[in-house]
Amino acid sequence: MDLHRNTRSGSAPQGGPGPVRHGAPGLVLAFLLLAHVPASAQTEQAVEPAKALKQLSLEELFDLEVTSVSQKPEPVSKTAAAVHVVTSDDIRRTGALSIPEALRYVPGVEVARVDSRSYAITARGFNGTTANKLLVLIDGRSVYTPLYSGVFWDAQDAFMEDIEQIEVIRGPGATVWGANAVNGVINVISKSAANTQGFLVTGGAGNMERGFAGARYGGALGPRAFFRVYAKAFDRGPSKLPNGQDAGDASRMHQGGLRADWTPTTADGVTVQGDFYGSGIDRRSAGPTDISGGNGLARWTRAFSGHSSLQLQGYYDRTKREIPSTLNEALDTYDLTLNHHLAPAARHDVVWGLGFRLTDDDVRNSSALLAFLPPRLTQRLYTGFVQDEIALEADRLYLTMGSKVEHNSYTGFEYQPSLRLAWMPKPEQTLWAAASRAVRAPSRIDRDFFVPAQPPYFLVGDSTFQSEVLYAYELGYKSRPLTDLTASISTFYNVYDKLRSLEAGPPFFLANGLNGRTYGVEAEGIYQVSRMWRLSAGYTFLRLILDVEPPSTDVGGQSQEDDSPRHQAYGRSSLTLPHNLSLDAAVRYVGELPNQRVPSYAALDARVAWQPAKTGEIAVVGQGLLDSRHPEFGKPAARREVGRSIYGKATLWF
Amino acid sequence: MVLARRASRLALLLLLLGILPAAPSSAGPRLTHEYDLKAAFLFHFAQFVQWPPEALPEKNTPLTIGILGEDPFGKSLDEIVANESVGGHKLLVRRFQRLNQADSCHILFISSSEKGRMDEVLSRVNRRSILTVGETKDFAQRSGIIGFVVAEKRLRLAVNLAAANVARLRISSKLLRQSEIVGPLRLQE
Repeated sequence: MDLHRNTRSGSAPQGGPGPVRHGAPGLVLAFLLLAHVPASAQTEQAVEPAKALKQLSLEELFDLEVTSVSQKPEPVSKTAAAVHVVTSDDIRRTGALSIPEALRYVPGVEVARVDSRSYAITARGFNGTTANKLLVLIDGRSVYTPLYSGVFWDAQDAFMEDIEQIEVIRGPGATVWGANAVNGVINVISKSAANTQGFLVTGGAGNMERGFAGARYGGALGPRAFFRVYAKAFDRGPSKLPNGQDAGDASRMHQGGLRADWTPTTADGVTVQGDFYGSGIDRRSAGPTDISGGNGLARWTRAFSGHSSLQLQGYYDRTKREIPSTLNEALDTYDLTLNHHLAPAARHDVVWGLGFRLTDDDVRNSSALLAFLPPRLTQRLYTGFVQDEIALEADRLYLTMGSKVEHNSYTGFEYQPSLRLAWMPKPEQTLWAAASRAVRAPSRIDRDFFVPAQPPYFLVGDSTFQSEVLYAYELGYKSRPLTDLTASISTFYNVYDKLRSLEAGPPFFLANGLNGRTYGVEAEGIYQVSRMWRLSAGYTFLRLILDVEPPSTDVGGQSQEDDSPRHQAYGRSSLTLPHNLSLDAAVRYVGELPNQRVPSYAALDARVAWQPAKTGEIAVVGQGLLDSRHPEFGKPAARREVGRSIYGKATLWF
Repeated sequence: MVLARRASRLALLLLLLGILPAAPSSAGPRLTHEYDLKAAFLFHFAQFVQWPPEALPEKNTPLTIGILGEDPFGKSLDEIVANESVGGHKLLVRRFQRLNQADSCHILFISSSEKGRMDEVLSRVNRRSILTVGETKDFAQRSGIIGFVVAEKRLRLAVNLAAANVARLRISSKLLRQSEIVGPLRLQE
């Protein structure tokens, strides 16, 4: 069920023995040795005397470097959830040119590149090109497709320099975030227009990234109103077939947008933003896949006091996908949400909200191969939630409880409660536990899908397909044992019911015939060795066990057990060198996917950057440096492999 | 040999006179001690924040910068503020251990030593026209007005505009432009 490209074109002969791996331990060692030099080289500089500081302008003050960070250890996050934040600095220093690439070094997340443009991304298992248990939001806008309850990653892009952070929450976030937040939530947040003033121009080229360029300008509309506009484009080279031939999936994309932030009074904030994009992805068998779309969002926030606020948000999103001789889809989404945050009594911090979403999905079935019937479907989703964070003991013990109730067009009412407890025995330690229920509501692929387009059918969706249900139990520990060291470990035990099965035919049909359990451990640590050197590492263990529930005769769904790696690990080194140089190196290991016959692999990514002036930077980035190419996802017959990518990039801001 | 020694002496002399640029100091960024910089910002806040008239009723009412709890600044704040005035109001530094003493100040730096009772302190002063400044985690998110945040070795400000509004303080856009707005008025969620 690969909707990203025509599966018929993927019947390439399998190559010889697996890709040859050129080990580069010497390179890693060199990075490690280099790291010892700068720590002592920086201590001799003159420090500005206190009295001289008051003569400096605000701009100059903001530009000063502080010699020592506060000695007192900051408390670790008290959030009772497995949260990882990818900062704008992480994005810059990993050299990620796209949102999926920026998620490579997040523990517990599986990022597998399917071909030049498609990714299979999930958290805590069930990966696939149509992975359906992850909610992805870009500035509060869900980029979910009701076609398969997942994300078309090839249509999602952002001006990477303007991303403030990407929050990744593993585990169910359904109580607050709602539909589809089953195994995790990815929340891409862009910077306020007030924080992106001036020009930024960037561009570069490489062997895979054949050319990319972008520009942003931010200005003021008044003392309390700011805006920015941006445009970007890229030309990306093709992936390879297992035998080394060009897979013919080169692509181009352009995107532009604007954002304005206005604070008319000290109590009100208004944000208006929008984007448009277009992309063509070549195919070997027929004309290129054409993707286009746009969105507009408005958000108003009113504060009543430091503890109480109201937020109203509305957006419209249109996205089109034309895959010649496969399908043409046009999806319109209208979404309206209201959130109210209040402290009704001492110790209580309450958030509640209401939401309405209308999706109008129109699939023009342009081939005899497959069909969604009815072709056009309008769905309405009504949601309401309430959550209360209770300070049982201030700064020590917090209990969070809440539930979401939603009504969708397929299954009616669904409820998604959660209970979370955070205990801070010391300010630098948090022990947390959570129990939640989440559902994955049916998508069009579960209900309306037919192969081929006319009877006799080979595969049919199930018009009575029910929501998949998850009961999740989580336990985690976050700690800062040393001032410069933070570590966290998250464990989970997930029990799934009514998972999608593929029932024996003819015709084959989809049903809720599987149940299962997953369990796993995610650990990460960040160590600031010196002011100049930061090390981080992560490890993920995951085990899936799926069982067929009689009377199911599942012939396909259960194999998802082996679609996720059992072990994943990474290590990263970020080094700031004298003379405005910086050096980043990262190694990641991803275990095998037995069901796909994708062998385990290790990859080395590195970046060297030089900032010759305060207004510019030049960088060279290498990704997947250990081998010429390797597969990350897909069965051999339909597989694409992405090769080593090296590119240079220059950025100017003024 | 002699010539070489002379040349190196000359180079040293030129270096001392500042004629020959000394490589390290010109290449790197300008450095400062964290609390000297924070003290300088407290001084600047007096210039970039407007108090309601009733907070400064007389021309000779001093503008008071208070420190609640352990003083991390040493002498630097006193040095910076000495003999300074803003809009005719002389600047004054006072140190408090008890909260009820702090009611009359204009800027109140709440030391990390008060971390355990931060919510209590803030809820007591947040309806007065006092610019609360702190450095504990999420200070501004927890309804303090300006939080110092050290990120990437630079000092950044987190400003809770909603809390400033409740305190009837107007913060200059010049300061806001360089700050991160947090709390309920955070521009994205």
